[in-house]
Amino acid sequence: MKRILVGLVLTVTLFYLLYLSEPASAGKKRTFEEDIKQDWAQKVCSNPEAKVPEELLDRFLEEQRKLIKYPESGNIYGDWKRGEKLFSNPKKGNCYACHCGDPKELACGNIGPNLRGYGKKKKDPEYTYRKIYNSWAYVPCSVMYRAGVHGRLTPEEIADIVAYLHSEESPINK
Amino acid sequence: MSIKYFLLFMLTSGILAFSFAGDRLDPAEEVKKQKKLLLEMMGILPGDVIVEEGKEIFHKEGPNGKSCASCHGKDGKGEKLPLVGAYATMPKYYKDIDMVADLDLRVKSCMEKYTGYDPEELKGKKGRKIIVPLATYVASLSNGMKFNVQPRHPKEKEMYKKGEELWYARVGKMDFSCAMCHDKYGGYRIRLQTLAEPKKSKVMRYWPAYRYSKDKMWTMEDRIRGCYKQIRVTKPPFYHWAHVALQMYMAVNSNGGVVEVPGFVR
Repeated sequence: MKRILVGLVLTVTLFYLLYLSEPASAGKKRTFEEDIKQDWAQKVCSNPEAKVPEELLDRFLEEQRKLIKYPESGNIYGDWKRGEKLFSNPKKGNCYACHCGDPKELACGNIGPNLRGYGKKKKDPEYTYRKIYNSWAYVPCSVMYRAGVHGRLTPEEIADIVAYLHSEESPINK
Repeated sequence: MSIKYFLLFMLTSGILAFSFAGDRLDPAEEVKKQKKLLLEMMGILPGDVIVEEGKEIFHKEGPNGKSCASCHGKDGKGEKLPLVGAYATMPKYYKDIDMVADLDLRVKSCMEKYTGYDPEELKGKKGRKIIVPLATYVASLSNGMKFNVQPRHPKEKEMYKKGEELWYARVGKMDFSCAMCHDKYGGYRIRLQTLAEPKKSKVMRYWPAYRYSKDKMWTMEDRIRGCYKQIRVTKPPFYHWAHVALQMYMAVNSNGGVVEVPGFVR
């Protein structure tokens, strides 16, 4: 009996140790140096005017457009209620950091345009999708981060935000 | 609509506008209000308490019997190596360490090299409890003097260049740079926070600063780490070259600003 108990305790400890050591070896901490490595577009945008030089503009736009991917279902118009959560969540879209929209959300920034009534402007939802996925395909070097390019939002999540912006039922348009 | 209703409407909207303006007070006014409040409550500003703490550390002997004052004189006013005015010329190249150092790095390297502090004691968060007050005290010795940083040594020039590059570099998953928030959109709001304009306000002149929202004294290194965290880039460790480089850039842009340390910020 004693032997079984000791064996059990040893096994549990061993598994526990294995479990603990795995994330340490798998999830190596990122460094500042790694994080400040730039892609070509970021390099091009790193100037005081935050502008792409004329001669690079065509290549820049083409490359940025190529980065845009769509949901597997092909549906770019998701669920506005899910979109609402993603829009305000500081760890996901965090869109209210820069945009106002729902009049109930008072803690909204003013760096980007106010999105109140966005759906009534009759914009093409596909444009909205593409703009959120990669703002730099439309406004090179914009302060708006490239949510899809960096994977901060998945294609499906972006589709939900598109619905939040366009739907008639959404507080953005009510 | 009768004139009575019209007047009533004007009055209520006026009151509403006024109370909102009060809520979203001009950020400079808000800081003044907080400062006054703290001063009334405590009789002394927390930042000044930390300067006193730094002064004590400055005059206390380290493990090998030497204090900062042994080399720099009482209150940093020695005939040799006085520290009065030193901060207004930093970051700077120091021959003894063959490096360009900012305030934090210079204080740390001096303590390790001359007062015999165990480098382990000065590491990480534990070390900050000694270095931050000391750095604040040393910076305060330049109060009233004008910032004047002129990169001349090749290593200083190199640091300035690196700092300028970092200032404009679009990095990380948010594609931000210091310049996007603090030059181009300085004065705008992220959520309800107004973005500071470090170049316009000659920022180095009032750092290290006491942050009332955190009840903590921060050096510029703490501030830079906070910024990188917010733009989702791994923070550079304390005393990393990026701190020195960015401060070199901001210091040159602070030239002419009168030192007033500790600053008092949100």
